[in-house]
Amino acid sequence: MALQLKRDYLNQRVLERLSTLQLHARLPMIGNVSGKHRSPIRGSSLEFAEYRKYVPGDDTRRLDWRAYARNDRYYIKEFEADTNLRMCLIVDTSGSMDFAHNGMSKLDYARRVAGTLAYIAALQGDAVGLYCAGKEFHIEIPPKRSATHLSAVLDELGTIEASGETGLADVLHETAERVPQRALIVVVSDLFIEPGVVRNCFEHLRFRKHDVAVFHLMEQNELEFEFDRPMRFVDMEGGEPILADPTVIGTQYRRAMEIYLESMDEVIRDTEVDYHRICIHEDYGDVLARFLLGRTPKKRK
Amino acid sequence: MSFLQPLALIALPLMALPIIIHLINQQRHRTIPWAAMMFLMRAKRMSRGMARLRHLLILLMRVLAIAALIFAISRPLSGGWLGSVGLSKPDATLVLLDRSASMEIQDLQAGESKRSTALKRLAQLLEQGDYGTHLLLIDSASGQLQEVDSPKALLSLPMVEASATSANIPGMLETALAYLKANESGRAEIWICSDLKENDWDVHSGRWNAMREEFAQLEGVHHFLLAYTDPPANNLSVRVENVQRWERGNDAELLLDVIVRTEGGSASVTAEGRSVVRRVPIEFEVNNVRSVVEVELDTLGASLQGHRIPIDTKLNSGWGSVSLPGDANPLDNRFFFVFSEPPVRKAVIVSDDPKVGEAFRRALAIPTDVRLQHHVDVLPMNRVAEIDWENTGLLIWQGTLPSGLVAEQIQHFVNNGRVAMFFPSKLRTPTATGEQFFASRWGDWHSTTGEQSDTTGDISWWRGDADLLAHAESGDALPLSELRTYQYRTFESQGTLLARFDNDAPLLTRVATDQGAAYFCSTLPTAQFSSLERDGVVFYVMLQRALAEGCRTLAVASQRDAEIDVLADRNQWEPVASAESNTSLSQRGLHAGIYRDSEYWAAVNRSQAEDNAKISPLETVDALFDGLSYRRIDVNVGDTSALASELWRIFLIAMAIVLILEAVLSLPSRKTESSPLIDLTVAEGTTE
Repeated sequence: MALQLKRDYLNQRVLERLSTLQLHARLPMIGNVSGKHRSPIRGSSLEFAEYRKYVPGDDTRRLDWRAYARNDRYYIKEFEADTNLRMCLIVDTSGSMDFAHNGMSKLDYARRVAGTLAYIAALQGDAVGLYCAGKEFHIEIPPKRSATHLSAVLDELGTIEASGETGLADVLHETAERVPQRALIVVVSDLFIEPGVVRNCFEHLRFRKHDVAVFHLMEQNELEFEFDRPMRFVDMEGGEPILADPTVIGTQYRRAMEIYLESMDEVIRDTEVDYHRICIHEDYGDVLARFLLGRTPKKRK
Repeated sequence: MSFLQPLALIALPLMALPIIIHLINQQRHRTIPWAAMMFLMRAKRMSRGMARLRHLLILLMRVLAIAALIFAISRPLSGGWLGSVGLSKPDATLVLLDRSASMEIQDLQAGESKRSTALKRLAQLLEQGDYGTHLLLIDSASGQLQEVDSPKALLSLPMVEASATSANIPGMLETALAYLKANESGRAEIWICSDLKENDWDVHSGRWNAMREEFAQLEGVHHFLLAYTDPPANNLSVRVENVQRWERGNDAELLLDVIVRTEGGSASVTAEGRSVVRRVPIEFEVNNVRSVVEVELDTLGASLQGHRIPIDTKLNSGWGSVSLPGDANPLDNRFFFVFSEPPVRKAVIVSDDPKVGEAFRRALAIPTDVRLQHHVDVLPMNRVAEIDWENTGLLIWQGTLPSGLVAEQIQHFVNNGRVAMFFPSKLRTPTATGEQFFASRWGDWHSTTGEQSDTTGDISWWRGDADLLAHAESGDALPLSELRTYQYRTFESQGTLLARFDNDAPLLTRVATDQGAAYFCSTLPTAQFSSLERDGVVFYVMLQRALAEGCRTLAVASQRDAEIDVLADRNQWEPVASAESNTSLSQRGLHAGIYRDSEYWAAVNRSQAEDNAKISPLETVDALFDGLSYRRIDVNVGDTSALASELWRIFLIAMAIVLILEAVLSLPSRKTESSPLIDLTVAEGTTE
């Protein structure tokens, strides 16, 4: 698929490198057209699914005569149905996503990750939707398969800006309700919300049979908190600034971060989401390659 | 605590530097947009406890480190007794050194006496510190004030060596006061080194009050007392109370009364508390012949009365010594004595009244000891020129007070150590104005028998502890209460009252003189005036004592107490034997020894008070300096440590410790780097 790329946040070389990889769903998807993803509905693909007993009314052409010859019973041979995928990209656009490292903010990074994934999904015929959320949805593009739709998604990604408080939890809950069929929900956020709240969101999405993937973006300074003089920390989401001496509270900060990350790990373990903790100085191409390879189904023996 | 570089303390406000830097740092904060505010808020909540305390401790350590550095630079001295007074530099430092014999008590292990220890420690202290523009020494032996070049020079001056003298601490302080007033010194420090012996301090003297008031008027004068009050562990002293040379037939002998005193614990009690008899050998040396006698000591010591030492009959005069084995105080282990044939005790009675003259003659002509020779001349006033002043010990003057040349002769007579007694003239005419002698003047005659008389003539008080009317050796008082006086003549005198009537009129007064003595008696011995002659005892004892005292200087051999001008009466005194081998001319008389000038002998020893004196109570001594800037430093003779030592090393060590603590507190707590949760550079990502 030849797509004329005009968005500067997408890297041609990364796209070419990743074009050899495919985006797989970890769960069966219910699509409306044939695709590359498993479906819970039996279909006519070459992939054997199971045997079941014949019941009157079944298509006799699908009887396995060899099994009848061996067992003297009627079995219907069923095959997997391959269908397409709906991928909903949820990008956090709260003020904290504007936090930058070497000129690249978390939002820039999120833009690249989401854009590249959208391109890859569209390339393999999957539907791509985009939801940008600050305090609430302000961009909502439902998943579609067309090339023009991809163009619209990429254009929107290029224009989004980070501001205001985060409303990611509400957005995720709303997404869980609003996306009607099974979909791959890709969340790109710094997740600066309580782990307990995150747990509720993920459980909600899982309950709705969505395949949830999370790109948790962090910046190295946020982790290490290495400052040598008192700083006035201005809340990027509009809260009260805090004057603090990092030499005094550095240890406590790191301890708080450690507790948070441990809690997040527990949430991930319990909700079984596809979680990727990423520091934004990492090459996003590597991160996506790792993500795509991780989702590649293992060959059956 | 005092400081050698107190100016460095000006930098003490620099202690606030870490706090100021901290506050400036707080103000110099950078503003940074921050996303992870939720962790920041949690961290602030968590840091309210130990972390904040740790931070404050770090700040405190930095403050203490700077303080320790500043204190180290200011070179502090130990010794809390220096107190705040040591913070500024004195203009003058005066050292008052007690050189009395009792200051020679040694610590037997260290071999240092109280005097030498005090000097060394004081010199060391002054060397370390700043003793000001003038360093002056007043030693107790000479009482003179002398400027000293440096504290080290204090140790080598002859004026600081041991002496057998007694000290006059109030006199030394008066000298110091006179210097400070004369030189209008500003800040001054007076260091007194003494063992607080009662006889040296004379704490009951009225001089102290006047002196204290005058010192109080001087600002910036600080007194320090190095008090060596520790008693010696065990010390014996020997003294010859009396030496007499007698001849019996063809033999001659010396009779000595020797006293041995114990000090610093019972000599006859063992460490276990058992009472044992301790015997001490006493070595006698006369005419290079030595003999040893052992005496038993009791708790007070021992006495040897009338110890006989045979001598050559040709040895009319000479010297000897009595020695004890060495102990804590080497200065009181040897006592020198001289002896000679007793002189003829000559008295001259000047009176125009033969009856009165005869009364005096009878009382004086009979010696108290048959071996003594008395010679009494009675002369009328017009034959005064015939008096042999050189060989007379006592002058009885009954009549109008002398004047002119005779007065001068009598004055000279008394100044040579002789005794003059003045009795009133019978004339009832009032004396002319201005007719006075020895600052005394006769008044009018009074009768005690008349109705208008205000006295019965009884003696209401007399001085029984010393002088002519002192109690007998047995302790019995003289029978002055039985004395009857019928007529007496008043007189004005500034002298010391020895006896008075019941109307407070004086009977007998002693006029203060440098040498010798002058007495004024207000009545006459004859029956018309008093019962002196009739009762006899008081009259006889009084005159015999006066004669004995006046004739003391007639003897060619004399016992003398060590003092600066004890040998001033003759020019040719040469040392014969001395406790100190290298005695300079100026220091003669300060050390125990024997001196000879042709036929005259003098034995110089420590005074009796040095052997007897107790230590003044510390409270009493402290009270002498009430209202003055005063510190007492109690030290022991064995303590040779420095009075003050520099403490900068301690402060440097303290600073190093504080800095180490600061570093330990500043170490980042063990973290987290090993935690894979935060190290996202290797984050694997997928959790499946």
